[in-house]
Amino acid sequence: MAEVKFSNITKKFNENVVLNGLNAEIRDHEFVVIIGPSGCGKTTLLRMLAGLEEITGGEIRIDGVLVNNMHPSKRQIAMVFQDYALYPHMTVEENMSFALRLRKAPKAEIEQRVSEAASILQLTKLLKRMPKQLSGGQRQRVAIGRAIVRKPKAFLFDEPLSNLDAKLREEMRVEIAKLYQRLDATIIYVTHDQVEAMTLASRIMVMNHGVIQQVGAPIEVYRKPANLFVAGFIGSPTMNFIHGRLAAEGGKLYLKNESLSLLIPSFLLSGTAEHDGREVVAGVRPDDVLAGSAAHEPNKKYSEKLEGVLEVSELLGHRENLYLKVGQTRVLATVEAFFNQSPGSGVALRFNYENMHIFDKASTKRIND
Amino acid sequence: MDILYSIYEILWFALIVVTGIALIEGCCYYHFRFHDRPWFIPAALAVLPASGAAGCLALGLVAEPVKPFLWLLGSEALIALFFKYVVKGRNTLPYLLLAPAFIGLALLLVYPFVFEIYLSFHDLKLTTIMAWKNTGSLPFVGLRQYADVFTTSPLSEVTFWALLGRTLWWTFINVFFHVAGGFALALLLNNNIRFKGFYRTLLIIPWAMPQVVAVLAMRGEFHSQYGFINIMLVKLAAAWPFLAHLGLGPAQWLSNYPLTTCTLINVWLGIPFMMVVILGGLQSISSSYYDAADIDGASYFQKLRFITLPLIRPVLMPAVTLGTVWTFNNINVIYLVTGQSGGTERADILVSALYKAAFTYNRYSYSAAFAIVIFAMLFFISVFYLKSFDAAKEDR
Repeated sequence: MAEVKFSNITKKFNENVVLNGLNAEIRDHEFVVIIGPSGCGKTTLLRMLAGLEEITGGEIRIDGVLVNNMHPSKRQIAMVFQDYALYPHMTVEENMSFALRLRKAPKAEIEQRVSEAASILQLTKLLKRMPKQLSGGQRQRVAIGRAIVRKPKAFLFDEPLSNLDAKLREEMRVEIAKLYQRLDATIIYVTHDQVEAMTLASRIMVMNHGVIQQVGAPIEVYRKPANLFVAGFIGSPTMNFIHGRLAAEGGKLYLKNESLSLLIPSFLLSGTAEHDGREVVAGVRPDDVLAGSAAHEPNKKYSEKLEGVLEVSELLGHRENLYLKVGQTRVLATVEAFFNQSPGSGVALRFNYENMHIFDKASTKRIND
Repeated sequence: MDILYSIYEILWFALIVVTGIALIEGCCYYHFRFHDRPWFIPAALAVLPASGAAGCLALGLVAEPVKPFLWLLGSEALIALFFKYVVKGRNTLPYLLLAPAFIGLALLLVYPFVFEIYLSFHDLKLTTIMAWKNTGSLPFVGLRQYADVFTTSPLSEVTFWALLGRTLWWTFINVFFHVAGGFALALLLNNNIRFKGFYRTLLIIPWAMPQVVAVLAMRGEFHSQYGFINIMLVKLAAAWPFLAHLGLGPAQWLSNYPLTTCTLINVWLGIPFMMVVILGGLQSISSSYYDAADIDGASYFQKLRFITLPLIRPVLMPAVTLGTVWTFNNINVIYLVTGQSGGTERADILVSALYKAAFTYNRYSYSAAFAIVIFAMLFFISVFYLKSFDAAKEDR
């Protein structure tokens, strides 16, 4: 299949710099998900790889071949678009075979490849239909089928599921995962949906403002976010951030702000004196906040008990979101349902030190291991 | 003081219009409001026809009121029954709002059309027009006028069939070049070029100008001595003598090639409309189809053929239908270029021959029948186009 290498990629739209010196490598047979908020340059990067967008500076290589000025059809890639881009005046079959017909491939081969792709995607019964007679999920499958038929070196997906409703999105996600296992191809997948990123990717590439923030396996990105942006972007509900200043008192390190004083143990952040006075942000996911009766017993892995006030609680079914306030600091805790306390009542809470992250406020970089 | 008089006249006209609308609305309101009263029909029959006839007499429209009174009485009886048993006071406000426009349209469209049909079955011409004026009746001739349309010449020499052939050829050539030229210009304008708005404005000018002005200006350019076309041809032949050997040189456009001249002018006039329509169609095509086609490996012409053309069909088909009807009916260009002061008949198409038959040769009933024949042809052309368009839409 294919390896893709971006070196020093720059993209400007007039004076507007979208990508500035981006470097990345995608290995053979890898499923890479590029994730980031809208406008971060992820789709532009994908379109540059496909050859639909000019490259202002830098190099893109597919299997070591420089493709900067190569026509899209010569790059041996296939792309699945957000709006599917199925030709509305052609049947499913014609849509899928269009590239092969343009290439003047032999009829028998076209038929064989189309029926093969159709059977993989369960489209055999729909081959004679027009795109407008299909549901959203079926159209998406046709768009994927059109890509498969071409036997490309790499598949590019541009937010393929964002036009589908939630239930269908789940089904298609599983289909794409199955497809990856079956095709064993290089897949580059752009999305802003972190569930898709976490579930599908072999590696996640988090982007913001045209810069790659972190590249790594999903669990790595989730457990060890490299900076504040990644920490806040990955994970739902969003991570709690506690702003404050580190203070060394009696050989121990504390995170202090106007509402609380939190001991930072040495297994979380080594060194004491050198951190004194440093502005930091501590991050802890809602799942790692113990609240209510569970927080009453002391536990070494958890911080000492804090007293908060319950503002709102949201029942999700098996879990419950508690919006708490500790002094002026807001904390979200996700606990087992049912949490029998009414808004306004006091709630005890503790943070899990093992999954706590400390970021430098100025550089936004992670400073603990 | 002249200007004051003009203002006075305009105000007077506005007053007449407002009074007319008020009368219509008042009459409608009466019919809607009181349809269920026992005195509705007697009152309507007693008051409305009498006051209408009196109004006609007062305005000097008729010399004696008996005939209009009977007409009004008959129509009022029908209208009153219609309101009492069919409308029954439903949807009062919508109908009251529609009434002025509806009655205006009826006067401007329905009445002339009905009168045209009446004329086509009778014989109104220069020799019978005084009799018609004096007695108000015309000799009934049945279908003779329709037979004449197909068997005699509307002009001095050209037959109907020759005119029909010429009209079809004229329509085809014009619409073909309108679409081809409009498509080419639209493709150019659909690119990201500098000064796009400026070019677009320039290209739309022939369409935006009053047609009379545009055609007369172009007619001047085809003048044998002072026209731009001949001056250019002379200069070209002087600069490259081999062109002169090939036969290039000034021509007597208006007298020797009248139909070609008309066609050139009309092509120039018609391209902007097609360009605007096709440009609209091109801009509505999502760019992702072109992205997908790029990745599929389509060349520029393959994209044009497999993506652009099929996708602008929905806007192109109605525009072609309209263009066909307009060109088929285009008397302006032909008449303005060739029609004045005993001009040639060699460029006449059906409608310009029709105009001449009616207003040069004064064969009114014959022209009425002729007009209905042309109307029928255009009607079937349009129905055929729209049907085929619907059929094409079904495939999608």
